[in-house]
Amino acid sequence: MYILLRQLATIRRQAHLTRGQPRSLAIRHVDAGSCNGCEHELTSVTNPFHDLQRYGLDIVASPRHADILLITGPITRRMSGPLHTAYQAMPEPRLVAALGDCALGCKILGDPTEIIGSADDMLPVNIRIPGCPPTPDAIAEHILTALSQCG
Amino acid sequence: MTEIEDVQTNAWRASVERALADGEHFAGAWATSRGKNPTWRALLTSGERSRVLSCDVTAGEIESIVDLVEAAGWDEREAHDLYGLTFPGHSPMRALAAHPDDPAQWMIPVSGEGVHQVAVGPIHAGVIESGHFRFHVIGERILAMDPRLFYKHRGLERAAEGLHTDEALTYAGRACAACSVTNTVAYAHAVESAHALQPDRELRTARTVLLELERLYNHLHDISAICAGVGYAPGAMAFAALKDRAQQVNMRSFGHRFLFDTVRIGGGDAQLDATAAGATLGDLRELRVDSASAWRELEFTSSLQARLDGIGVLGADDARRLGAVGPAARAAGIREDARSTSPRLAYNGFTPASLRAPTGDVASRLRLRAIELESTYDILEELLARPFTSGGTTSVGAGSTLGIGLVESPRGATICAVELDGTRVGRLHLRTGSYANWPSLAHATADNLLPDFPLINKSFELCYACVDR
Repeated sequence: MYILLRQLATIRRQAHLTRGQPRSLAIRHVDAGSCNGCEHELTSVTNPFHDLQRYGLDIVASPRHADILLITGPITRRMSGPLHTAYQAMPEPRLVAALGDCALGCKILGDPTEIIGSADDMLPVNIRIPGCPPTPDAIAEHILTALSQCG
Repeated sequence: MTEIEDVQTNAWRASVERALADGEHFAGAWATSRGKNPTWRALLTSGERSRVLSCDVTAGEIESIVDLVEAAGWDEREAHDLYGLTFPGHSPMRALAAHPDDPAQWMIPVSGEGVHQVAVGPIHAGVIESGHFRFHVIGERILAMDPRLFYKHRGLERAAEGLHTDEALTYAGRACAACSVTNTVAYAHAVESAHALQPDRELRTARTVLLELERLYNHLHDISAICAGVGYAPGAMAFAALKDRAQQVNMRSFGHRFLFDTVRIGGGDAQLDATAAGATLGDLRELRVDSASAWRELEFTSSLQARLDGIGVLGADDARRLGAVGPAARAAGIREDARSTSPRLAYNGFTPASLRAPTGDVASRLRLRAIELESTYDILEELLARPFTSGGTTSVGAGSTLGIGLVESPRGATICAVELDGTRVGRLHLRTGSYANWPSLAHATADNLLPDFPLINKSFELCYACVDR
């Protein structure tokens, strides 16, 4: 384990990670029909190169614990119900983030009868993170900017 | 070029039976609805050879082959739900792509004293793709599990119909980010084989480099995920960092962390001059040293190792019966890998990885990936020793209207079937390694403890996106 921890410490040092201000925001992710690219990059935001948790941002297991609903993918017919349920389960005030070009409604691929549309077509979107998929840097930057605007 | 044999409806079963007796393997089946009647086709492979059995389904029904080839179960269920075919002999016909309200229509009936159900998903607790699992359990022990996927069904195959073959490439690519190179190469192979185009050496090299880079970051990711499934954070984080470094190599060398848009029909957008090839090789050598030392650490971490043995066992007989492919099959002792029969790629003399004791459990699937990482580094080392251009294809005879691409993804053999209407796509079908392996994953969970399911799931690490399409 010593070697693993040393590798991790080296990465953190080389990535020049700084500490964030003490604050807290909980994110609940829902895959509404994505190709799994946004999921990979969202997972990477918590890896040692980016360590989103140092800003008090964390991905939580339940919408009941969440401040932000983060949506990936175009919204498929089958996922619109579960997505709506997750949104209703969140306490207020709550924010909605659309992660990736599909959730933003750009160049959605698929059969129109299977797809409801973009996140905007279902919920009030506050944070927009473009990219196919957005890089971990872009995800972190957009969420942090939104956080600073929340005061 | 793929040979097509037309078969009468009443001769379907006998033809499949004969093919299997001759040693051919079932590699997938798909329906089309282009003519007056729907057509039902099956792909059979033996070594580098492949052929398609094709049958006009006149009265909407065709005899099931699931008792001959259990691996055809999902193909028949999908064709039933999406193309309205019925398969006498396949009973009960449980829903796969359709989502009926009545659970009896899609679940295995399980009853008895103390049996209860645990429903998980479609939204999961972590950053995971959407899909539903229904566990039938007694206490903590799983009796059976029904995966219910297709929540993310986007109708990509239907949407690609009628498009120019160049345009439809994106539909294969965006079906799944983590298998994007595999799926686009399989699609390109299918179209090129239909047009009787043979890739030159440069193109074979470029595509093989891309495929191995895709395998590299996926295998590193999967090792990280298995550590996470056990709750071993140092391992999960170390391999997450290694995966990120592999994706940084992708970005530096080919402009995208998932290598999107690097594959084209008849050519590609991936080339490296001598300096760039050397730089990529240098990055990969550093990565290789660090991933080898991180792997050695995992091998000697007893709290991790103690959780892996005997968990989620998929034996060789079951793997063969259920049509398992890729690392899951090789960890069960089946030495098959599409890379050893890929003349359209640069895998000269490739031999599939094997374990001394293939136990088919989580431990074997983990170890097999570590072994495959070494061969991936070796292949990249050899191919990056010289610069390559994006290459092209040469014409080798007359074309046909149907082409098959068969490529080994990080999860196993992936098949792409393309039927052409001139320059347009008449039918596009993707049967990915994940699609082939979901029934094996469901089977391997039985008799395990429910809290071990995330670990078993991670040891297969199947995609939902390229199954749902």
